[in-house]
Amino acid sequence: MPHVRLENITMRFGDITAVRDIDLEIRNGEYVTILGPSGCGKTTLIKIVAGILRPTEGRLFVDGKDVTDVPLEDRDTGYVFQNIALFPHMTIRGNAEYGPKVHSLEGGEAEATAQEYLMLVDMLDKAGHFPRELSGGDQQKAALARALASGSRMLMLDEPLSALDARVRMELRYEIRRIVKRLGITVLHVTHDQEEAMSVSDRIILMRKGKIFETGTPLEMYRSPKSIFAAYFIGETNLMECTVESKRKEGGVILRLRNDVLVNVSKSKANVGDIAILSVRPEHVYTATDGLRAQVRDVVFMGTYWRVRTEAESQDYVDYNIPADSEVPETGEQVYLVFNKKASRVFKRPKEGLTEAIKLE
Amino acid sequence: MSLIDRLDGASSKRRVKRFWLILVILIFLILIILPSIYVLFEAVSQWGSINEVVSDSGKMAVIWGAVGNSFSIAFIVTIIDIIVGIPMAWLMVRKNFPGKRFVDTLIDMPLAFPTAALGFSVAIFWGIPQGLDVPGLGIVVSPYVLVILLHLIFTYPYMVRTLSGILEQLDPNFETAGMTLGASRFTAVRTITLPLFRAGLVTGFILCFARSLSETGGTYIALNLIGKQSAFFTGPTFISDLKNQAGSEAAMPELILISVLLIVFALLMLFVAKLMMDKVKIPWSKVWPKFERRISRGLAVKMRNGLSSFFLALFIIIPSFFIFSFLLIEGPLPDMAGLFKAMGISFLVAGAATMFDIIFGIPMALYIARNKDKGLGKALDMLVNVPLIIPTTALGLSLYLFWSSASLPGLVLVILGHISFTYPLVVRNVIGAVEEVDPSYEEIAKTLGAKPFQAFRKVLLPVIQSSVLAGAILAFTRSLGETGATIAIDPTINTVPIYIVNLINKFRDLNNPDYVYQAAVASITLTAVCFVMMVAVKYVTRRKLGGRGHD
Amino acid sequence: MTEIRLDGLKKRFGSDMAADGTDLTVESGEYLCILGPTGAGKTTLMRMICGLTEPDEGRVFFGDQDVTYLDTAERGATMLSQTYALFPNMRVKENVLFGSWIKGWPEEESQQLARNILSMMHMESRSKAYPDELSGGQQQRIALARALASGSRVLLLDEPLRALDARLRLELRKDLKGMVKAMGLTAIHVTHDQDEALEMADRIAVLRAGRIIQVGTPKEVFEDPKTPFVANFVGRSNMIQCRVVQSAEGKVVLENEGGLRMEAKDGGQPPGTEVLMAVKVGNTKISTKLPGYFEGRVEKILYEGATITAEVMVKGLGLVYSKLPNRKFDDFREGNTVSVNWSPEKARVFDIPEGGIEYEIRVD
Repeated sequence: MPHVRLENITMRFGDITAVRDIDLEIRNGEYVTILGPSGCGKTTLIKIVAGILRPTEGRLFVDGKDVTDVPLEDRDTGYVFQNIALFPHMTIRGNAEYGPKVHSLEGGEAEATAQEYLMLVDMLDKAGHFPRELSGGDQQKAALARALASGSRMLMLDEPLSALDARVRMELRYEIRRIVKRLGITVLHVTHDQEEAMSVSDRIILMRKGKIFETGTPLEMYRSPKSIFAAYFIGETNLMECTVESKRKEGGVILRLRNDVLVNVSKSKANVGDIAILSVRPEHVYTATDGLRAQVRDVVFMGTYWRVRTEAESQDYVDYNIPADSEVPETGEQVYLVFNKKASRVFKRPKEGLTEAIKLE
Repeated sequence: MSLIDRLDGASSKRRVKRFWLILVILIFLILIILPSIYVLFEAVSQWGSINEVVSDSGKMAVIWGAVGNSFSIAFIVTIIDIIVGIPMAWLMVRKNFPGKRFVDTLIDMPLAFPTAALGFSVAIFWGIPQGLDVPGLGIVVSPYVLVILLHLIFTYPYMVRTLSGILEQLDPNFETAGMTLGASRFTAVRTITLPLFRAGLVTGFILCFARSLSETGGTYIALNLIGKQSAFFTGPTFISDLKNQAGSEAAMPELILISVLLIVFALLMLFVAKLMMDKVKIPWSKVWPKFERRISRGLAVKMRNGLSSFFLALFIIIPSFFIFSFLLIEGPLPDMAGLFKAMGISFLVAGAATMFDIIFGIPMALYIARNKDKGLGKALDMLVNVPLIIPTTALGLSLYLFWSSASLPGLVLVILGHISFTYPLVVRNVIGAVEEVDPSYEEIAKTLGAKPFQAFRKVLLPVIQSSVLAGAILAFTRSLGETGATIAIDPTINTVPIYIVNLINKFRDLNNPDYVYQAAVASITLTAVCFVMMVAVKYVTRRKLGGRGHD
Repeated sequence: MTEIRLDGLKKRFGSDMAADGTDLTVESGEYLCILGPTGAGKTTLMRMICGLTEPDEGRVFFGDQDVTYLDTAERGATMLSQTYALFPNMRVKENVLFGSWIKGWPEEESQQLARNILSMMHMESRSKAYPDELSGGQQQRIALARALASGSRVLLLDEPLRALDARLRLELRKDLKGMVKAMGLTAIHVTHDQDEALEMADRIAVLRAGRIIQVGTPKEVFEDPKTPFVANFVGRSNMIQCRVVQSAEGKVVLENEGGLRMEAKDGGQPPGTEVLMAVKVGNTKISTKLPGYFEGRVEKILYEGATITAEVMVKGLGLVYSKLPNRKFDDFREGNTVSVNWSPEKARVFDIPEGGIEYEIRVD
């Protein structure tokens, strides 16, 4: 039986529909991330699952029981807020003890439980401090301990890292995953940061404009996105408008880009004559002695690789990567590009046009 | 170069900035603070004659009685306000229900009534007015209780507004966090929100307490109408009574003494309240989950909301409007020419005071808001509260004594007096508005080339202008309704409240109820004017509705 | 075109030294990024440059002119803040024209400039809107337009992309730099995000606790860090505490407490010295076939999209991270034994830092 099940959940605020017809199942101990741009409804959804909001329509089941009408304080859910929300007038220890105390745990037990979880997040030595005395990362760790100390088997993370520095985020997200996996807790994590989603999730749910767009493991979503929005939003990709010219006997299609340039890719379900979009990730673009002709516009150092930005013959902007210690092409230089046939994807051109299909706001 | 350009240019020079700041502070200290507490010095220099009064046990009994009444009434009123104010503030901030806007307006209603009018209303609604045939409940005989019921009316909005203001600023996430951890709404509020709320409660306490301490006109009228004006005194009515009698110069030692007592105890109370803010702990480590869960939901909540609304209706709204029942009776109109002349004087005084408040209050507010961490900023922040706390009648007397050697015309003195207690209103309002504005706006404007005064004019002022206007209108109405200070300074300056008090005095001396009727009509007229002003405030500060994107 | 020079700036807030002797030179037309964790003093530095805060000690020069105590309005350095601070009571067009309006520029010219800038950003259609009607990305662009249209030669950007979604940030990075360069301005861009700094900067200045630790091109700061902090902050590194055994031909042989031996680029320390070795996770290679410095067990493989990170537990050492291209994902499984290797010139050796290793490599 799934730990959490959402059935036809819809949430309306006056005229605005924040989420629409959401069906979702989360297994016991699974780490699920809801990913999407601002305004897609992800925070509304997590608040519904936690019990902070009552859905306008639909039902919510936990361990098979209908909890849609159960009030917030009776739900068994830990919640970590984007703006941390540690009680400012209590110490870290006081914060961590709050959950056990309101569950009527006897005095000594509450303190012991809090102690245990503070140790787990490595915040024991700072337990006597007040929240404002700590750094952002430490505060969030304390908030995590507080949420876990109330003993819930479910944890909601509402953009827990968005307010933190980039470098702190990197370390903290692995910490969080390690801790929850050790405790066997089911996690629902909401974020707009696809890198964050990819690195910690068992499964990603991509949302857009109130609906679930696509779901899959990080690997699936990256390698085999089913839509252009997913291909664009998760990871980086080069998008080129084209038409399907012909199909090859051995599988694979030939596409005609702008200015009558032809390229070779692997098989696709599109039909000859269809207008399509070709998606190739920068790491799947290589230079060769012949291929799509392009002129180098810019070369940017990215640490372990260089990002080369080019404008191709077909008037498309195509980016590719080369290792950090390779020879770097000059701006203006001409290169020839080929694409990894298997990794390239061909999508049918969306009705609303490419710009609308990948719009983030 | 135009004047404005010159001002803009001058504003970037450090010396000019410093000079302007010193000027504003000096004016504040010399025109407002010093006169307000001058009576304390005068008491020392006239110690001889004051000592005589102290040894007169008869007189002292009356004086202590008056002071005791004022403070105990203020305390009781404020406690009641807190008890009924919290649920109402909660309702207004956290809940949405049909008719909410209407209730919102109702809560502010009492502020539109000059307290003189409220004195009438309360006397005829709750009490048994002498020699008058007006329908009312007539169940309250004790003047003490009557005055409490009166003071509740005009302090209630202060409490609810202050509490609402703080509640709105509190991040509801803290409570939600508590509830996700398993706490019921009531527990979460008690253990998380209330402690964070503490500063707001104390501010509300101070405001209500001070307002009750100060009130003169309404109390005076109510007591006169039920015929207890000689048997029962509050501090301000005692002072007014003495000042009204001929030969008030002879009674100066008594006036000084009672003023000193009022001022000293008021400042003491302010001090104690600030201390309580930091020290007293609300018990939050004990939890009673089952019980608190039950009172968080269902019937308990409905009862609580019902009682709050009932209280609002019965004790606040209905009594306030009761003065309008005078219009149902036949009676002679007051001397309309005299009334309009009095209006003119009231407007002149209020207008002059408000103008001063704006010109010299805004720079003070700006300085305090931007320098709350510095010593001078903190000191000024405290000092601005002083004229607010001191009962206006005592303040008026003190000011009168301060300027007595400088033969200034009575009108000017009254204006100075009104400036004293309206100045803090404008300053507080503007401080509140400025604190909500991101300082980045002005700073960015400066980096784009705006000189300090330009940045203020073009960027900050447009954003806070509605608050400035609201503060000005509040100051104006407060001045319009003020009785005590005017009496204490110069009862011959015929503002409308003085006009009304004179009519009431005639009623008392000549026992002719016609005068009461005339006074009531005058009060209603003044009320109508204040109503218009309050509507203007509401219009100017109306909140923008909804429309935040939902994620 | 202005050059900016900061000379020994110091600023104290209470017990906190927000600036502790900052020296910096910015060339005309340069896009300089100041990179550092929150609390390093980045905003204080910006505020001292544009005049919103006065330093306790030190000087600020614009060209040859000492502007340390010059009024903000006279300096000609415009700030773009995290919260954008678009004037809420003015429309987009009025916001953009604010700078020229204040300075009293001729109407025609200002209007033309505003039109050009707005069209560069594809925002002409929104010129009559109010700020609260715009999305986050649009607000950011208008705040930039307002700064560009002010006629200032120097642009100070205080974490301009922080308030935006991650994916949107990637899009706007290119636009932002492009526009600044197109107008030939000098830009100082402050950020905590090393990817952002690497991508956008001509030069990066790393700031920590009020001090500038290193200045250089992105490649220099990444590949040639001067302190362990820089080595770990700009691109994550594996930090290994060890002792110098011997050195030859520009390479050193090191040994850690657990007896494991490895090589690095010679840092000049004599044999026997306790040192801290840093090698970027992107330069740390693992293999199931080839030999390496030591072996370990793959604990976890994290799929990050274009890259993967492998957590390898090495006995006698601890966790070592290796960042690899995603095509290697299928080469490794949890539980595999792998060898860990790197090219010696890619590993740097540092003296043990005075404040202790833990404080040195903290990123917050």
